[in-house]
Amino acid sequence: MRWWKKWSFVIMLGITGIVYFVTDESLTEMTRWERMDSAGEEKPEEEWQLLESEMTFTSVSGDPLAQEEGQEPKLPPQEESLTEETSPGEQEEMPVSGTADTESMPDEPQIRIGRVEDDYFSDALFLGDSRTVGMYEYGGLEDIATFYASTGLTIYKLFDAQIAETPGEKEKITVEEALQQQSFRKIYIMVGINEMGRGTVESFAETYGAAVAHLQELQPEAVIYIQAILKVTTERSNQGDYINNEGIEARNEALSRLADGKKVFYLDPNQAVCDEDGGLVQDYTFDGVHLKAKYIGLWKEYLKDNAVLLD
Amino acid sequence: MLFSSIEFLLYFLPVFILIYMIVPQKLKNTVLVLGSIIFYAYGDSLRLWLLLMSIFANYLLARILRGRVVLIAALAANISVLVIFKYYQGGAMLPLGISFYTFQVVSYLVDVYRREVPAERNMIDFAAYIMMFPKLIMGPITSYGAIRQQLHHRSCSAEGLQEGMKLFILGLAGKVLLADRLALLWQEVQVAGFESISTPLAWIAAVAYSLELYFDFLGYSLMARGLGEMLGLRLPENFRYPYMAVSLREFYRRWHMTLGEWFCKYVYIPLGGSRRGEFRTICNLLAVWLLTSLWHGITWNFLIWGMGICLLIILERQIGKLWKGKAPAVCHLYLWLVIPVTWMCFAISDLGQLRIYLGRMFGLIPGMAVHAGDWQKALGNYGPLLLVGLVACTPLIRGIYRKLKKRWIGMLLLALCFWLCIHRILVEGNNPFLYFDF
Repeated sequence: MRWWKKWSFVIMLGITGIVYFVTDESLTEMTRWERMDSAGEEKPEEEWQLLESEMTFTSVSGDPLAQEEGQEPKLPPQEESLTEETSPGEQEEMPVSGTADTESMPDEPQIRIGRVEDDYFSDALFLGDSRTVGMYEYGGLEDIATFYASTGLTIYKLFDAQIAETPGEKEKITVEEALQQQSFRKIYIMVGINEMGRGTVESFAETYGAAVAHLQELQPEAVIYIQAILKVTTERSNQGDYINNEGIEARNEALSRLADGKKVFYLDPNQAVCDEDGGLVQDYTFDGVHLKAKYIGLWKEYLKDNAVLLD
Repeated sequence: MLFSSIEFLLYFLPVFILIYMIVPQKLKNTVLVLGSIIFYAYGDSLRLWLLLMSIFANYLLARILRGRVVLIAALAANISVLVIFKYYQGGAMLPLGISFYTFQVVSYLVDVYRREVPAERNMIDFAAYIMMFPKLIMGPITSYGAIRQQLHHRSCSAEGLQEGMKLFILGLAGKVLLADRLALLWQEVQVAGFESISTPLAWIAAVAYSLELYFDFLGYSLMARGLGEMLGLRLPENFRYPYMAVSLREFYRRWHMTLGEWFCKYVYIPLGGSRRGEFRTICNLLAVWLLTSLWHGITWNFLIWGMGICLLIILERQIGKLWKGKAPAVCHLYLWLVIPVTWMCFAISDLGQLRIYLGRMFGLIPGMAVHAGDWQKALGNYGPLLLVGLVACTPLIRGIYRKLKKRWIGMLLLALCFWLCIHRILVEGNNPFLYFDF
């Protein structure tokens, strides 16, 4: 028998292996791109350019960037609620930022925070990752509110994600397109857990801010609720990878500064589902990351208790 | 080191195989032992000494094995080490593979005592028997008699190596492409919480788990046999299409066969088997299943699992006398309904949670925050995979494999399958849950 016939399978395995590793270079790039790899790499350049163009756009429109510079005198109550957040206890104060400075501006309408019922969400949109998918499936709002949510969603691909179901259309469309077609009065966002391994606190908050600005542009009427990234259990946090509560807290702190108290509000549902160590309550979750279905209600109640009352 | 890990597939195995093929016949067992030490140390370096000590002690014990007292002392020593580790900290500190290698040592000692096989003279050969990495951590439990000749004289050929590789890839695909995918559905159900799944989803998830467990273990066993064949060693079969059985009795003669055979040979038959009347038979079955439960784990759910199966097997024995193999379709249906329920008892170690799960399966416990369409979504996402799994439970895929494995097209498919598995492992890591998207 000829040697190549004798070793045919080994040879074939070798050749396919070489083919695989040559083509895999590009394949891995694509998958990394899709899955937000843990390596914490910076985003590919095209995306940065995209973000930059968004940023310049927002700076033309003025508000968000100006807000970033003037934030310190503007948001004293926010800072307070944050220090309390790290040393939890009963916290009566509303975590919604900017309530104080509205009082100093008498010509602005008074913004009141209070309790609402489910029908409040009838013109609300929920944007988010698998946690928001959980809210959709188990929160009892699936027939009331609109959800553009999918597992693995990140702030980086928020508008390009093809996840929006619109009435009368079979194909899902991108969030960008959907927001051009439909209008909402309230928009709840929660993303951030998938981004943990990626970028820095600053770059994340910057992208998030640009996304909020773009949302406002598309939906000028809407109140935007930035929800804090839900934390993970202390056990999960100590597992030693990039998903940990210290990192989440740092990013939440940065997110809280994006609120302006007029149209953009920061909500921290962690208050409803975390224990004294500042992690998600162990019993509320199986995997340390997602709330079990029956505890989604706690999060929903928190949102109902902390709604901006519109006239 | 898992068989389905990059370290094993791309580094350890190729290097090991190369060295193993080059060294002369005389040194092959030495290389096998050294390779196995590295393999084991990678997974559990702390308890390597325990394994090595066990091998050394049992090698000596077998050589001086004369009389019942020595045998009983030797068995007691081996089994007590196993029991201590099983109970110590609830089994959290269980040394890798101890359940499997202890059972092999026990079979070896008993067989030597019964003069079925001579005690091994060469310590390296004995170490190779116990330690060979293809079967070290998860079996198949191989009796010394079954492998003795090959330990001493075996031929390693290009043919054997490549046939082994093919079988290994078949097993790898079962593990990586089927079991690990199906595991995600089970994970989803756990994440949602058992109170909140609909009854149809409870059944779908139980079926998914049944398939996952099968392809995980079958995949592992095929990989073990494939590795054995690559090295010129013939390891015993562990599964023979268990889900095609028509009774639980038959199921467990086809599922993890080497364990069943072990219990049969070293517990059931010595107790008298079925030759001493119906009552003794039932007692013997109970003893076997009690031990089987304990072997799998010391939490109560395993006892429920084992005793439930034992009860059904006893009932089957009675009914079977009247039934006499009529209407096999009914028997299949019975098995396919019963098996997922028993696997849930196996899978869920918290009894409160188990109660909830079974309650949801039979609609006895009201759901909380159930998403009514959850099972349609699960079928949408996992339907094709479940279908492939169900088909793979039949002899069909093995038939195709046997037909095509010597042809170019079959070899090409297997080679592609291997790199697809590698790709999946690279993308997801060894643990598909670790790099889960949230």
